[in-house]
Amino acid sequence: MLESLFELLFRYRPVVFQRGEFVFAAPWPVLVVVLCAFAVAVPVVWAYTRVGGPVGRRDRLVLVGLRVAVLGVLLFCLLRPSLRLATAVPQQNFVAVLIDDSRSMRIADEGGEPRGAFVAKNFGDTSAPLVSALAERFQLRFFRFAAEVERVADVAELSYAGTRTDLGRALERVRQEMAGLPLSGVVVVSDGADNSRASLAAPLVGLRAAGVPVFTVGVGREALARDIQVSRVEPPRSVTRGTSLVVNVAVSQRGFRGKRIPLQVEEEGRIIALEEIELPGDGETVVVPVHFEASEPGPRRLRFRVPPQEGEVVGENNAREALIEVEDRVDKILYFEGEPRFEVKFIRRAVAEDENLQVVVLQRTAENKFLRLDVDSGEELASGFPKTREELFRYRGLILGSVEASFFTHEQLQMIAEFVERRKGGLLMLGGRRAFGEGGWAGTPVAAVLPVELEDGGERGFFAEVQVRPTREGVEHAALRLAGTRRETEERWRQLPALTTVNRIRGVKPGATVLLAGTGEGIRGEQPILAYQRYGQGKAMAFAVQDSWLWQMHATIPLEDLTHETLWRRMLRWLVSDVPGPVTVVPARDRLAPEERAVLVATVADSSYRAVNDAEVVVRVEEPGGRTLELPMEWAVDRDGEYRAGFLPEAEGVYRVTVEARRRGSLLGTDVAYLEVAPVLDEYFDAGMRASLLERIAEETGGRFYTAATVGSLPEDIQYTGKGTTVVEEKDLWDMPALFLLLVALLGAEWGYRRARGLA
Amino acid sequence: MIGLLGAGGLAVRLGTARDATPPRPSSPVTLQRPTLRNPWGPREFYFTRAVYSSYGQRWRGSWATDYPKADLQFLTVLRRLMRIDAYEEENAIRLDDPELRRYPFLYAVEVGYMSLTDAEVRGLRDYLLAGGFLVVDDFWGTREWLNFEAEIRRVLPEYPIVDIPLDHPIFHSFYDIDEILQVPNVGLARWGGGRTWERDGYIPYCRGIFDEKGRLLVLINWNTDLGDAWEWMDDPEYPLKYSTYAYQLGVNAIVYAMSH
Repeated sequence: MLESLFELLFRYRPVVFQRGEFVFAAPWPVLVVVLCAFAVAVPVVWAYTRVGGPVGRRDRLVLVGLRVAVLGVLLFCLLRPSLRLATAVPQQNFVAVLIDDSRSMRIADEGGEPRGAFVAKNFGDTSAPLVSALAERFQLRFFRFAAEVERVADVAELSYAGTRTDLGRALERVRQEMAGLPLSGVVVVSDGADNSRASLAAPLVGLRAAGVPVFTVGVGREALARDIQVSRVEPPRSVTRGTSLVVNVAVSQRGFRGKRIPLQVEEEGRIIALEEIELPGDGETVVVPVHFEASEPGPRRLRFRVPPQEGEVVGENNAREALIEVEDRVDKILYFEGEPRFEVKFIRRAVAEDENLQVVVLQRTAENKFLRLDVDSGEELASGFPKTREELFRYRGLILGSVEASFFTHEQLQMIAEFVERRKGGLLMLGGRRAFGEGGWAGTPVAAVLPVELEDGGERGFFAEVQVRPTREGVEHAALRLAGTRRETEERWRQLPALTTVNRIRGVKPGATVLLAGTGEGIRGEQPILAYQRYGQGKAMAFAVQDSWLWQMHATIPLEDLTHETLWRRMLRWLVSDVPGPVTVVPARDRLAPEERAVLVATVADSSYRAVNDAEVVVRVEEPGGRTLELPMEWAVDRDGEYRAGFLPEAEGVYRVTVEARRRGSLLGTDVAYLEVAPVLDEYFDAGMRASLLERIAEETGGRFYTAATVGSLPEDIQYTGKGTTVVEEKDLWDMPALFLLLVALLGAEWGYRRARGLA
Repeated sequence: MIGLLGAGGLAVRLGTARDATPPRPSSPVTLQRPTLRNPWGPREFYFTRAVYSSYGQRWRGSWATDYPKADLQFLTVLRRLMRIDAYEEENAIRLDDPELRRYPFLYAVEVGYMSLTDAEVRGLRDYLLAGGFLVVDDFWGTREWLNFEAEIRRVLPEYPIVDIPLDHPIFHSFYDIDEILQVPNVGLARWGGGRTWERDGYIPYCRGIFDEKGRLLVLINWNTDLGDAWEWMDDPEYPLKYSTYAYQLGVNAIVYAMSH
């Protein structure tokens, strides 16, 4: 609208003014014109100042000003103002037209018509107005793109079946293909729903360097009118069998505000978890923690789904799938206890039946006398607490009970810190009279790892009976969810008996999360009881009570109650849940569309978890059909200990990849991962037209962004890019309606003023 | 020996029948049972003696045999031998007291005279099934065994009583014990002329009750008297061999109870 008005007043569209260079093209010298102007203006001014009668000073000034302005406008026209711009020579230049051929173009959000209809209407054949206008001026090359880009002769070849959109790749390929040709610009017709996860920075730099402007045409609506979407699911890549999981599911919506709908988790068609959610406001997202247990070992395909609602524009984005590997491994945890304590008995009792947890106990029963429990061999821990990294890093988790820091050598303290930081292990410090600040841990390397602030020397003699409650984060935490629902969980926590603490914890580190807090006599406000933080690549927890066994033994706890067992099993499982071995393999994407290349990334370390760059790493890929292929993995030079390999999956299904790393013949470790090849529905997620992305592409390359309403001016705009084979053209501005209107307005104003002042 | 060697001063009523009102210690305060707010603060370990109902013509309950000297003496040595945060005083508690479950280690003597009330049976059963550990000691011969067996059957009818083999961890948790000794009472040790047994209890046994998961709930020292050995180890006439064994087994039982 504004642009049309501009064109009406100034004869040309704004883009002509933007691209053009303003010049005066008068056939006579400027000096002559200026002198002539003075010759006219001076008598005018003189005449006005000399004239007699009831004319005031202000009237004279206004009238002189208006008359001089009229003369100025006429003078401006006499100088023949023009725009000089480089215009593409007709049929001498090329324009590449990239049309989005992905599935999101099937979304019918434009008056019930699919986005593809816009393409058919404007680019469908040579008689389409846009194509004919472009073809008049340029040689056109059509390309279709989704994950890949391909030249097409006819737009009718588009099938809108692409399962991924990679705008950056498409632009880069077209730039390369059109290199050497006089290219006036690239037109991209797309909804901008790029889901390649690739950065656009490099392709845009390439286009800018080559001087190729990109004109983007956004198809579809920025926000779907009525839609519910499972926006994000964040499951762990692998879990141990029997682990209680909490997966955060983000659901966003438009048009269904306040509606209550079920969110279900399905496995092989079976519902394994169900949560009712209340939908948030339009355009907002609600994050729902969903709890369920990973039971059977192997790759598990989970589907997080909300049922499609009536009137939804897109139904395909109501479910997301995830592949989780349920491992049947035994996680070994070392529990070092500095004195005989009932915690040892009851923690062991709690996890005794968990086949996937092995808690090895090293308990100091007397000075230099240790009790070892659940060790695998007579040699294990035979000389007490590990003295080497190899020995300590064998465990995935480490629990420190009531043991003073001075028991350890500095080297051992450093090792414990590295256990978390480098080995990515899980550390848990329990409360006790020799733990935390009271045990002299402040100022040690381990203090930096712990999530709580330690005071030097602690508070001797501190004792409090604490009623423990989960915090907002705690009540949804996988380890602390003691009942089916949030409300039941909170109620269960309220019923648990008080525990005792002898450790004064006054604060937590800035990055720590408090999961349990305690209140009681002698404590101002609340004291953190259970807190954790990520440190380096591992995590550290602090559980500042000394008698959690009361949650098993207390008279108010019924015999059949499993709170203590559940809590400890979950807490220890969570502690070691994502602790890797020395060798790991992860697919860059664990869900691939057919014919998409699989990339595998392995990390290799030795037994002390130092990265190894000279390993022989082989990956064995077991295809769904049973065929196996072996691929060598190459060290990625830019990262220590990282190896990569890729392959092109041939069939749909789940692929099992096993990586094995050796150094000089000796095995460093193995790891297994899974990836699935199946049609992916990523195209239907966040499928609103992404105007911001398309605008950015246009802006950074010197092009322009259009919508369906403004695309009509595209052919003319490309003409003035100045790229390709061009001629210089001058466009006169003296006959702009705006100037004529200005003249009329000035003369009208003078006449009006005279009338008003009685001077006419 | 019952009552002869125990520290007196606790007024209890006699109980003569199974369902009769049990003999009651005067009050927990008199027994100096620690509370969480006592001047010593909470401790990790309390040597806790079971106060139970008993029968027989006795001037007080059989639970208090050797009490509290045996307990105190044992605690003194225990604290020297081990790195343990143990409460220094004796700690006796009734089996039907809900607070019992705050003390996962329990010691009971003269169980041959045990005559539990239904509330005590319930209390002890819940205690053991929740995770408590009971050591019984100082009962001799067939008659006392039969009484104890009948009483403990009321508590844990579903689990059998079995002999504990010497390779069981309880014999190796702190000291390595490779022989089960008969520990005589102080009278026999002094003047028995080599006789160590009482009544027809000629052979000492270490028996146990395990639950279905193989967890040891009750350690039964039959035909032996560890308590006397703890109590009289400071008597030069009491043979060191017996007190050493008694302390070793006591310490082992505690380490085991706190870790298994």
